[in-house]
Amino acid sequence: MSDALSLLLLPFAASIAFVLIHAYFGVHVLRRNIVFADLALAQLSALGATVAFANGYAPASPAGFAYGLLFTAIGAALLTLSRTLARWVSQEAFVGILYVVATAATILVVDRSPQGAEHVKKILLGSILTVGPAELAKFAALYAVIGTLCWFARLPLLAVSSETRPAGRSMLAVSIWDFLFFLAFGVVVTSSVITAGVLLVFSFLIVPAVIGFIFSRSVRVVLAIAWGVGIAASAAGLAGSYILDLPTGAAMVTTFALFLVLAGIAKALVLVDTGRRRTNLRHAVRAVVALALALTFASSLWLIINPAADQPLAATFESATGFGPERFLSASERDIYESAGRDRVRFQNEVDRLDAKERAARYQGAPLSDEEIRRIASYQQSFNEMTRGERFVQDVLRAKARALERWFVGLPAAIISFVGLGLLLRAFWRHRSPADRDQRATSRSSLVIPCE
Amino acid sequence: MLAAAVVAAAPAAVDLRVVATTTDMAALAAAVGGDVATVESIVPAAVDAEAFEPRPGDVDRLRHAALLVRVGLGYDYWLDAQINRIGDPRLTRGGEGYLDASAGIPLLEIRGQSVMNEGGHAHGVANPHYWLDPDNAVIVTAAIAEALVRLAPGQRERIIANRERFLAELKTRRMRWNELLAPYAGVKLVAYHNSWPYFARRFRLDIVDFIEPKPGVAPSPAHLARLISAGRKAQVGAILHEPYEPEDASQLVARKLGVPLVRLATSVDSVPGTEDYLALLDHNVATLAQALGAQRRRAQ
Repeated sequence: MSDALSLLLLPFAASIAFVLIHAYFGVHVLRRNIVFADLALAQLSALGATVAFANGYAPASPAGFAYGLLFTAIGAALLTLSRTLARWVSQEAFVGILYVVATAATILVVDRSPQGAEHVKKILLGSILTVGPAELAKFAALYAVIGTLCWFARLPLLAVSSETRPAGRSMLAVSIWDFLFFLAFGVVVTSSVITAGVLLVFSFLIVPAVIGFIFSRSVRVVLAIAWGVGIAASAAGLAGSYILDLPTGAAMVTTFALFLVLAGIAKALVLVDTGRRRTNLRHAVRAVVALALALTFASSLWLIINPAADQPLAATFESATGFGPERFLSASERDIYESAGRDRVRFQNEVDRLDAKERAARYQGAPLSDEEIRRIASYQQSFNEMTRGERFVQDVLRAKARALERWFVGLPAAIISFVGLGLLLRAFWRHRSPADRDQRATSRSSLVIPCE
Repeated sequence: MLAAAVVAAAPAAVDLRVVATTTDMAALAAAVGGDVATVESIVPAAVDAEAFEPRPGDVDRLRHAALLVRVGLGYDYWLDAQINRIGDPRLTRGGEGYLDASAGIPLLEIRGQSVMNEGGHAHGVANPHYWLDPDNAVIVTAAIAEALVRLAPGQRERIIANRERFLAELKTRRMRWNELLAPYAGVKLVAYHNSWPYFARRFRLDIVDFIEPKPGVAPSPAHLARLISAGRKAQVGAILHEPYEPEDASQLVARKLGVPLVRLATSVDSVPGTEDYLALLDHNVATLAQALGAQRRRAQ
């Protein structure tokens, strides 16, 4: 356990640093409505690092860093330009093109110098789990400096932080502040992406800020919520990754999404007045029931049309209720079905046993000769072939059983779910009062984030 | 002394064009082909061969090959689509210009079934890194020599002489490699990927676990914690790491266990000093022996 704790402590500390700085930039990015700017900047800096690598500099060397910074600055300038270009092209499209071109250019550079591939791989996947103390100190120092600068420049930064050009300011002033913002943002993302990977950095940036905006319009409150939720989600993601034995980055991203869903539920069902809560709850229950009915209907139709195909929902139903395909087979068929299942396990065990034997002989006792290895390999191949045969037998019998099962299980399920869906739809149309429609209209307009 | 460069530029008496999928197969083909064949490889040395994407020029090179040498076992599955596209019966499975070098190799770790069937046969998926066992080079060069002789019967003597020369040198070095690694027989190691079973079998090493068991999926913290505690208990001697894979996780485990991180090359030319097949094994054996020796001296 102490190993686990020491493994997770540094990543958690790094996550806190990442959340604090990224959520702040996330608020800006959401207000500017260019959520993919971070990917474009990160990819450009990766391109810089790759070009540095191709020229013989390590990414951690001063020259490597300078290349990364240079390309980030170019990215910042291009993103600054996007506001002017917004008259002709949507900003999001421009950012997307920037990202794709930077990625493709990186691949082309890597193609010429394969040594850069490791760097590209690292940026894609990240490895927050293995962050070291020296790295962490570097992040803390860098983010402290950038955070302080942003604090002093908070008013002009907020003023230009919107999708449209703020009134009463010269184009030049707006462009300069835009450039400085993107440069700071680029430096932050460049540093974090190497450790956390693009997916996780995107989550640090966007998800806490979105959760903040669900509950408030004030930048301060949004930031406070984003920081709290971000840190909590990081802790939960890291713990989940340890307990459930999952890759850390992917587990954290999923946890952030889970927190977003929870925040949405809290907003709709907890933090509203009683009347509204009842309506929302009714809607939610109906949506869940409708989804379940639709799934059941589609799955039972699939079972009726093609009983021999993969039946994921029917298989889940069978294993949950114990009402499996065996019940629709004759006694002798059932015996064959069950013994095929047993044999599959037995053959697999044989393969494993031979494997363990070969593995042990690599370093202890008398080594196995090539002939013995070949014999083991051919036994294993035979067992694999036999496992395949048993699986085929099971598949055939299961298809046969399901051809019968579709009339006893599939047809009733299809009828019940179809009728249920019909009733639900009728109730939906009847209950859709004019007041509901009005509220829907206002809630939609409130999704747009106003500029303070 | 050996014309075992990846591209043998010597003027060829007969212009036999051998195209190998990887630099390792190319190096073995060059050792046998010598001045009889021109050898090219398709996948660059330091690139993940299993995630390789061929370019238009590669199709052209394949099309004009007299002999195609592949690793097989799904390691260079991208080749199948290219062969189908070229549609030359000479270069398809069973054709005289097609050589799957894995045929005849004593395969290790045959597990489960491959989703892709090879010619209707459901092979188990064996570990494909068989060229890292020097004894398998004997088998692979035999197959290459046989194929070359079939294509250019007039060059039979030279091809066989080339191979004999290669095998003699291999035998000499094999003795040195054995001497270097013999003191560490049974040593426990942790590897980044499962690339070393053949190497481990030949030099009697015990690879107890992997940093990244599923290539491309980052290890979970629970896995790393298990690795560290089990590694401490088992007294792991070193961490093996392939070049051009991210090092963070390997470094973390090496640091926690207090053992060296040993960078071994999985293919010819992927790091400096591995320009031909014998140099590749020289490099791997010497690097590992040196690291384990230093570790042992430190522990005493």
